Parts: sequence; C-alpha cells; structure tokens
Amino acid sequence: MMRQVPNIAAVLFLGVLVAFPFVYTAGDYDYVMHVLITAFFYAILASSWSMLAGYAGQFSFGHMGFMGIGAYTTALFCHYLWVADAPTGLCDEVEIFGTWFIVVDAIGVTSSTLTQDCLREALAADPALSVGRMPVLLGIVLGTVMGGLAGFLIGLLVLRLRAAYLALFTLGFSEILKATISAEIEVTRGQAGLELPSLYESGITLLGTTYDKTAKLPPYFTMLGLLLLCLGILTWLARSRFGLFVRALREDQDAAAALGVNTTRYKVLVFTITCAMAAAAGAVQAHYIGIITPNLLFLLQMSLVVAMAVIGGVENFFAAAVGAIILQVMLELLRNSFEVGGYEIDMTIWRLVFFGLLLMITLRFFRNGLLAPMIEYFTRGHVAKETVARRQAAEAAFEAGREAGR
Amino acid sequence: MIHLTVRNLHKHFGGNHVLKGVGFEVKGAELIGLIGPNGAGKTTLTNILDGAIKPTSGTVYLNGERIDQLEPYEVARAGLGRTFQVTRSFRRMTVLENLQVPALAMDRGESRAEMRDKAHDVLEFLTMEHLRNEFAQALSGGQQKLLELGRLLMLDPDVIILDEPFAGVHPKLMEIIYAYIRRVNEAGKAIIIISHQMDSIFSLSERLLVLNFGDLIADGPPEAVKRDPAVIEAYLGSDEEEEA
Repeated sequence: MMRQVPNIAAVLFLGVLVAFPFVYTAGDYDYVMHVLITAFFYAILASSWSMLAGYAGQFSFGHMGFMGIGAYTTALFCHYLWVADAPTGLCDEVEIFGTWFIVVDAIGVTSSTLTQDCLREALAADPALSVGRMPVLLGIVLGTVMGGLAGFLIGLLVLRLRAAYLALFTLGFSEILKATISAEIEVTRGQAGLELPSLYESGITLLGTTYDKTAKLPPYFTMLGLLLLCLGILTWLARSRFGLFVRALREDQDAAAALGVNTTRYKVLVFTITCAMAAAAGAVQAHYIGIITPNLLFLLQMSLVVAMAVIGGVENFFAAAVGAIILQVMLELLRNSFEVGGYEIDMTIWRLVFFGLLLMITLRFFRNGLLAPMIEYFTRGHVAKETVARRQAAEAAFEAGREAGR
Repeated sequence: MIHLTVRNLHKHFGGNHVLKGVGFEVKGAELIGLIGPNGAGKTTLTNILDGAIKPTSGTVYLNGERIDQLEPYEVARAGLGRTFQVTRSFRRMTVLENLQVPALAMDRGESRAEMRDKAHDVLEFLTMEHLRNEFAQALSGGQQKLLELGRLLMLDPDVIILDEPFAGVHPKLMEIIYAYIRRVNEAGKAIIIISHQMDSIFSLSERLLVLNFGDLIADGPPEAVKRDPAVIEAYLGSDEEEEA
C-alpha cells in the first residue's frame, strides 16, 4: 500500500489539474490559466532535462536552445510559407498537386506595415486570390523533428565530452543560436520578434462549447496533454532497457561499455529524444504566446529550468515536473508586494532572492531535491527491512542445514 | 574452443614505449596469471584487450575475429569481459539492476523471467541474494567486488580478465572469489588474473605471464616461472635478498 502512495498522489494531482479550469471562476481566470499553461511548459522542459541530466548524467545547458529551435522552426514555417489556389507571379512559388506553395519575402523590420511583402502586393493586385496559412500542427511537428535532429547532431558532437566540458559546449551552442537569431534580423526580425498564428486560429469547439483563439482552456489542455505525453514516453523509456542503460551510462560510461552497452547509441538517443521534447514544448508555447524573440533563449531561462528540476529532484522526472509546476505558481504568487512597519517589500525582486535561497538550501542539504526523496520514501522505504529479513532467513536456513548435518 | 591470440602488441604514450611487442596465445579454458611490477604495462595490455585503448601496432584475435580495433561494447559482445582494478559498480542502481545491464546488453533472446532466475542464481552463489534490492552504494568494498564478478557471470564471456580481484578483500570473501574463479574456469571459460598477491596467483594459475617494462619476460607454468632468473631479478627477488 505504501508503495502506491506516489501513484495515488499523482492521480489526485492530475485530477485537480483537469478539473481546475471548470471549477475555478474568479475574475483573474485568464491570468491564473496563463500561469498554469506556462507552468506546464516549464514542467516539460524540467522533466525532459531531468532524463538527460539526472538519468543519463549529460549535464547539458543547451536545453533552451533546443526549445528555441522548435519555436523558431514553426514560427519561420508559419510566417514564410503560405498556400494559394493560384500563382501570385510576385513571390517564389511552386505548384504541388494543384496547390501553390508560396514563400514570402524576408523583409526584416524595415517596414512595420509589411507593404514590401510580395504576398500583400499580390493580394492587392488580385483580391480574388485565395491564400491560407500552413497548418499549425504541421509547424509544431516540424519544430519537434528539427529539435530532435539538432539533438542528434549535438549528441554526436559531445560523445567524448564529460562534466564541465559538456556543460560549456552546450551552453556555447545555445548562446551561438541566440546570437544568430538576434543577428539575422532580415529573416528572424531579431529582437522585434516573429509573430505566429494562435494554436487554434479559427477557434475550436470542445464538449459543445466554442472557444475563440484567445480562450485559455484549449491551450491549457494542449500543453497539459503534451506534458502527459512526454511523461508517458519518459516513463516507458525509464522502465525499458533504455532507462537501465542510460543510468549505467551516468554511473560509469567505461564500465557500461565493458558490459556490452553501446554507450554511443544511448548517449545520442537520449539527446535526440529529450531535445525533441524541449522543441515540441517550445513550438506549442510559441503558438500560444503568439510572438517569439531571442530572449526566450536567455541563460536565465535555462537556469530557471535547471533550478526547477534540481528543487523537484533531478533524478526523478515526475518530481522535476511537479517541482516546476509548484515553483512557477509560487513565483507568481510571490509577486504580490506587502508592507512591513511602513516599508514596502517589493516582491517582484525579493521573490528571486527567495527562489535563489531555496535552490541553495536544496543543493546543500537535499542532493536529490525536495520531492524525489518523498517519492523514494514510499517506493523504497521497505527495502532495508526486506534485506534484513532475507539475511535472517538465509542465516536460519544455513543453521538448520548445519544442525541436520550433525 | 576459445582461442585468444595477441601478436606483437606495441603501445606508445608520447615518448613512453609502454608495450614492446607483447604476444601470447590462450587456448581453451586456461587459468592464467599476469604479473609484473608497477609500470610493467599490465593495465595497458588489459585496456587494449578490452578495446578501451587502441594499440600503436599489433593485433588481437578472439575466436578468429580481430578485436583490437573494436569498441569496448563490441569486444564484450565478441566474448571478452573484465573487471577493473578499482571497483566500478553502478552505485546508484540496485544490485539486481547491476546484473540486468550485461544480460540485457547481450540481448540473447532470454525472457525477463529467465534473466531474473539467472540473476537469482548468481546472487545465491555470491551469497548476496538478500541484497538484491539495495543500491550498490550501500554495499561494502568486498561486496562491490563480488557484484562486479556477478555482472561478468551475467555477461558470460569466453575470456575473463580479473584485475586485482583479491586486493583489499576479507579472507571470507576471498574464499568466495576462489570458488568463483574455479566455477567459471570449470564451465569452460579462460581466465586471466592480474594480481600482486603472489600466494593467490601461484596457487590458482596453471600458467603465468610476466611483464616487465613492456616486455613479456616469461610465459610458462608457475613453478618454472618462479625459478626463471629474469623474473627473479625483475619482480620476485631471491630468497637471499629477502633474508638480507
């Protein structure tokens, strides 16, 4: 029964999250929902990073870079690629099965009205021209694939790098990516950011209720669904030989190889899978927010993900995910400033001090986070007793055998 | 039949010529001791045999397959397993999980139940069955050595290299390791033991290889090697020296 406590708690927690949007009715509904959607986004990043760093021992600091690849892939895809029923004659275009695929001009931020855009000029010239965006879902899938592909390549490049060298390499990769996005203003619009269509641009009907593109409930369940999908895949992987091998890789790469484990394959695989998850989260979040900038890739964002995973428990991706949700909510709750003896405490700044202190205390006293040890208490609390009982039974059997032999 | 052929192995680390044309053969279930002073090249030879480092020149064949350019996991799958001088158990994995790693990596088509039964037998033999669900980090140094040996039983290679299996081990555990070596050898496996414990190595081995500064200076039965002047001078020392 004790061993089932974490499972029961997980089901109850999930029940609360599923019911919440239907039972919460306060005036700040949209704000609270936004906080939770963002929390789920961070939970995907923290749990996938936990598989990479906690399970496989690959301390990558480029996770936000892969998230950015997912976000920018779908953004560029949806921003530049359009479909039309007839050629524009102005844009680069190609016909496939009767549909014209149009690549609009990369005009950077030179015009805020986008009048240089070939598609707008074509529409002005021929109002009967029917054009449409590429499907958002296809953009998200492409973003996920590109994130996984980048993870695969980086995984190959860092095969021989360990510890601090791996961390610095991946950090460098993320920073280079951010600098490239910032510099390529003509394509990415730099710090001005790229606008994306909403997750459900034309609205969506769920259980008989129609939600418009600004409604929070559809993206809430989309991000929660993606989180559950990622946790499901991670659980399946952790319980398979993959999970066993990547943990062996973390413990001792040379010993694992000497026992027949293809360490190269599993190192590359774990990078590919976890980076694809980060990219999927980035792509969905980008469509939810509606605009992305290179600031998404700030080192501070990566530090936040690492801190969330560490405080939850880096060697348990469920703990990392729940830790991320709780911390994101707490960080928002702590925004409220208050007065003490006539002095106003500005919590917009002090909350980060609180967060930093929590991280330091966790690192100093709770090596595997605050939640993971609780889970371990219930799942492994019985092991010591079992060991003693088995040893006593073996000793008793040995004694009985010796008595019988006399 | 098991056939390991090591031919003319050389290894340079910068200007340091660590192995100077080492060559020997292992045929069948031989029990071989590999001895030599510190810096003789024993660990380098082991690392070349298991694929961790590549030789500068020379070849290694196992059962007709060239293995000196293979990766360590490929060497393990080809049939050569090893333990390490300093025990390298997977500390934050349970004892049972430690045993599952080689069994699953070899992918012999065994069912999970078969693997569990095999692991159970291994743990019973090593008197560690009661520790199956403990993390390896909870084990004593000696028990961790036994666990490493257990992993090799699960890997089930043709040739086993045991690097300092008796170092820092309690006499009671030593008995288990002796029994392990005899059991594995009787099961038809070739074993190469690297040790500085002369009593153990002379009593167990059927054949001794002696390395000195990268040269293989002796290869033969223990009694003959013991009397070899080159070995006495390089490693064992004479009775007169001991008395002095």
